[in-house]
Parts: sequence; structure tokens; C-alpha cells
Amino acid sequence: MEYSSFTLLLLENGISKQVLELLVAITVLATIVSVSRYIFGSKTYGIYAPIILAISYSYSGLRYGLVVTAVVIVTTLISYSIIKKIRMHYITRIAINYCLLSITLVLLFLVVHRYGLGLENMSQIPSLAVISIAALSDFFIKQYVRKSLKITTLILLSTILIATIGWYVITRQYVSDFMLSNLWIVPVLILVNLLIGQFKGLRIKDFLRFKSILSDKEDDSK
Amino acid sequence: MILSSGYNKILGLNRRNQEYVRPYNSPSAKNIADNKILTKKVLAKKSIKTPEVYKVIRNKEQLRFLDWDSLPKSFVIKPNKGTGGNGIVVFYGKRKNETTWIRPSGEYMGKRDIILHIENILEGRFSMGSKTDSAIIEERVKTDPLLKQYSYRGVPDIRVICFNNVPIMAMTRLPTKRSNGTANLHSGAICTGIDISTGITTYSMQMKPKSLLSDTYEEIETTTDLKINKKLSGIQIPYWDEILRIALVCQKASNLGYIGVDIALDRDNGPVVFELNARPGLGIQVANQTGLRWRLEKVRGLEIKSIKHGISVAKNLFGGEVEESIEAISGRKVLNINERILLYYNKQEGKKKPKREACTAFMDTGVLTSRISNTVANRIGFLSTVKFFKSLDVPEKFESLKEAQKYIDENEEKLTEDENILRIARTVEEDGVIIRPVVSVRVKISGEKKEFEMIITDNITYPVVVGRRDLKGYLIDTSKTFK
Repeated sequence: MEYSSFTLLLLENGISKQVLELLVAITVLATIVSVSRYIFGSKTYGIYAPIILAISYSYSGLRYGLVVTAVVIVTTLISYSIIKKIRMHYITRIAINYCLLSITLVLLFLVVHRYGLGLENMSQIPSLAVISIAALSDFFIKQYVRKSLKITTLILLSTILIATIGWYVITRQYVSDFMLSNLWIVPVLILVNLLIGQFKGLRIKDFLRFKSILSDKEDDSK
Repeated sequence: MILSSGYNKILGLNRRNQEYVRPYNSPSAKNIADNKILTKKVLAKKSIKTPEVYKVIRNKEQLRFLDWDSLPKSFVIKPNKGTGGNGIVVFYGKRKNETTWIRPSGEYMGKRDIILHIENILEGRFSMGSKTDSAIIEERVKTDPLLKQYSYRGVPDIRVICFNNVPIMAMTRLPTKRSNGTANLHSGAICTGIDISTGITTYSMQMKPKSLLSDTYEEIETTTDLKINKKLSGIQIPYWDEILRIALVCQKASNLGYIGVDIALDRDNGPVVFELNARPGLGIQVANQTGLRWRLEKVRGLEIKSIKHGISVAKNLFGGEVEESIEAISGRKVLNINERILLYYNKQEGKKKPKREACTAFMDTGVLTSRISNTVANRIGFLSTVKFFKSLDVPEKFESLKEAQKYIDENEEKLTEDENILRIARTVEEDGVIIRPVVSVRVKISGEKKEFEMIITDNITYPVVVGRRDLKGYLIDTSKTFK
């Protein structure tokens, strides 16, 4: 792959290819999140969670990443439902949840090692990717404390979906190569975000939400 | 669907934030709305009632020295900077000789649990941005008996959205079993639109329980969980004008250009402001079955001189949802007693842009056939018909209907010679019976094009009077008789 002279300049001056790839991927992922929020209206656990999940998936592989995500969420849900019945401070609850989560993840690795379950390469997953996915637990609880389980789950699914789309985009070799050799795309993404930031139209979700008013035949504004 | 006329009426989240919240709500004004203690202080200066505060707990030290015996039987604990009703706990009663209070669900909550809950509030668990917070212990509002009939346990509230000192839209939120007695729409409370001019409820919606999307609504007609379920439309909200006044006073006091004011009706104190909202949700549009955007655009830039002026602008611009609601229920359209109609000029059929003129018609159920004054008839293309009829040697009056009918029968061919004359009508007037020509006039009334048979009369108070024959299928609103 031939890179542009600007990319080569960066690579020859202390920036590793992996770091550059990651930094460029973050700009793409952030734009995907902003498009999904302001054009489609899908909520996520902020912008950090889907970005970090997508990057974690790119390191762990989607299948392993989703399995770890599922284990993290199910464990969090069960442990939090039990712990919340015990009278204690909020942060201590979260701390206990993390302890239980660590134990469950260790058990998961042991079970996979023993029985395979089609996840034979589980031990190859970088530890940082597992920890990053586990951090989703905190986002989940913060939301669950304030909102209903249904809303929290919907936002979780939306976060995972957007992270999966992000994973798909950043793991395509041609996308990565194109981005690296065309770094001018970064200012273009800034421009795209500027435009999205000015967008005042209805989000796709608004169309569904206000369907009954949109289908009005009479325009009473006239 | 996407580019239907409704598109421009609706306010979406993007536009709300960019065109209304950001430009019209300054950070200092938002700070007032986001801080319940500050809100109470600001509103007290304007003599606006808010629930009475018993205690404010700002730290664990104050919590440790809280005088539990001084707390009444019923009260509410709230986070000062809470959002969406999170962290609010209501107590309805107290166990005798114990520091244990009773919740709306019948559960008991002891001192230790209450301390823990307050500690969670202090830690910012329910607050915006999860910063540390204060806990407010305040009076429990006792719901007005009228709205109580429609609520499941909790306190219903009324939200009024105001912009540029004009009340734009209003709804009431009624707690249900599904919402656990809270007025939170996402939890399943019912939202009912309110006609801004009359304070009468119109459409009612509730979030679909099994919908995959978090906020899609379905229309409902009655309450759902009460012993006797009641119809939700047509309820006259008490103190309506006072509620609108309070909402506008709150807007002025807080300096929020775009505001949602939540008001509860207390059994003893009347309207009491629960809270101010600097980013009011958009579900109110669904409850009212109309968009906020066109309403906001209509009042933007208007010079509103006083609160009274703001209310009167709102009533004139946005009243009428009750009529639409009646139409939806009964299948009949509502006409004002003095209704603006369009008269199409005679013989314009087939033309792309037929000539027409607007006039105010009087809806008169006292006459059978509609009437048109000869001046207007002349103008819209019946001049030759009027001239023709005048040229006939018709007696000015007859002694009786029978005599008039006899004359018509004998001269029918001659009298109806003009192609526009459908028939001859007899009208009973002060000094006898008069015969007059009847013509067919195309009109547009309440958005519908119709052919009315009209008697051409001498000039009358109204250029057109619509009679019983043409009023079939309509309901008449007489409230604007003298306007």
C-alpha cells in the first residue's frame, strides 16, 4: 500500500501506523455516532461507550466481543438486581458489581477453556479489550438507576448496534487504507459534523413518534 | 408520509434545541429551572405558590441531626437537581408511634431506608450530571377532587409550554397503575391534550407498553385502571385562566424564553407550581394531535404587552382543539355561529382558478332554506337573474302562503324562465308573504365545497344566512355569538 507523502511524513516522525489507524478510526466512529443520534435519533450511552466498544470488538473479533458483552450485561443485571435489595451506599454497590463481574469473566474463560463452546480462541483476546467491554457495566447501571429496564435495554441495544456498525466500517481493510492515505478525510469529517450540528429537521425516530400527527390531512396552520 | 403537510408543523428534538432552547434559554435562566430550591425562591417573589418546604438537607451532617419527629404524616422527598421524576419518594401516612412512613403502594419505609435514600440523593445519584446534590423534604400536594377521579393514586399535573410570553400548548398527565402512580409518560402515565382557549381536554394518548420503540403512543378514550373508568375528553380543567396566568408569570420570573411549567391542582391551595422545565419534552404534541412548530413560529416576534395580552393571543390563535375533538368523536364538524365561508362566482365550473369571495355567514337553524343578499348575489354573477326577477310584474306581497303558492303554480313557467332560477320560494315576513327566486350557489364551508340552494333576498344583516337544510351534519358553537 502506498501512502500519501503527508501520511509518510507522520509515520516517519514518531507516529506508529497502529496509533494513526486508531486515531483515524475514532474520527469515523464519532461521526457514525453523531449521524445515528441526530439523523436517526438513536440514543447511545454517550459517545465514549460505542467508540470504545467498536475498538474493543476490532481487537477481540465481533463474535468474542459480543459474547463478552452479553456476559457483562447479564451479570450486571442479575448482580445489581440482587445487590439493590441490600441497604448500602451506591458506590459500594457498583464496586460489588465489578467484583462479581470479574469472577464471572474468570469463570467464562475457564468454561470456554474446558468445553470450547465454539470460542476456542477466547484466551487470545487482548485483556484491554475485555476490560473495555466490562466498563459497559457502569454505563448500564447509571442508566438503569434512572430509567426503566426497557429503556435501559433499548439504549444498550442501540449502543451495541452502532458499535457493531462502527466495527464493520473500521475493520474493512480498504476503508483503513483509504483513510490512511487520504488524511484530508479528517477535516471533511469535521465539516460533516458541523453540518449535522446545524441540522434542524426531524430525526427518523421523530417520524415514527409523531406518525399520527404527520398523517393529518388538514393543515391547521393555514 | 415524510413530506406531508404535517412535517412543517412538528417540532423535533433537533429544532427544539437549536432554535428554541439554546437561543432563548440562557445558562443563568436554565440554572433557575434546574434547581428546585432556586425556582421556589424566584417564584415566591412573584407570589406564585409552590409546595411548602419542610427541610432542605445539604450534607450528611444535616441528615444526622434531622428532627424526625418534626416531619408530618405525609410529605415528599425530592432531589434538588433531579430530572424526569427520578429520586422522588412520596409518603401518604405514618405508622403510629414509629418513625415509619407509608408509601402510595402501601409499602412501609423506615427511617434507615429513608436515610439511605437521602444519602443517595446527596451523592447525586438522581441528579443532572451526577454531581452532589441536596434533598428537599416538602409538602405533599393533595389532588383536586376533579382530577383525582381520573388518576391512579399519584398527583396529576398540567404542563403548559410558553414561548415569547404566550401559552403555546398544554396537556395534563394522569398517573396510572402502569406508571406506578407517577405522572411520567415514559412509565405509562396518560397524557391528555387541553384546548388552550377553553381548558377542556381533547385527545388522550398513552405510550404503547409493548412497542419496541421507547416512545410511540396509542390513543385511548377512557382511564384504564380505576374502579369506574371515565371518559377523558371534555373535562373542564378548573382554574384554567389562572393556570395560564401562572405559567406566564413563571416565564417572566425565570427569564426562560421557551419554558414548560408543571402545575398541580391542590385541593386546598388551587394551582401550585411543581417545577419549571428549560427543555420540555415533545410528547405534548401527540397529546394535542398537532405540532408545536407552527404555533411557535406564529408567536415568534410578536410584541406581547402584558400577561392578559399573551393569554388572549393564545386563545385566539390556538383555540379550537375542542371542536376538532368533537368532530373526531361525533363525526360532525363544528361551525361557529358566525362562520367565514367562501362563495364561488356563478358559472365558473371547470375553471382552474374560479373567482370567489369570502364573507361571514350566519348559521340560522330558525330558517329552512339558506339566503343570500341581492347585493352579494349581484356581485357573484346573479345580476341578470336579480334584474330578470325584478322585471317581472310580481305582486310585492301576498296575504297568505296559500295565495302565494297559487300565484307560483299559475306562473311557474314565466317565473323560472331565467336559467339560474331553480324554483320559487315563499318567505313569511313581517308584513306578509313574499315570493323570491332560489338559485344554486357553490360555497366552501369548513374546508368542504358544497352546493347550497339560496333564496335571493333584500339586503339583510349578514350577506349569507345558512339554513337548516344545509346545516345537516354540523354542530354549531354559539360561544362566539357576540364577537
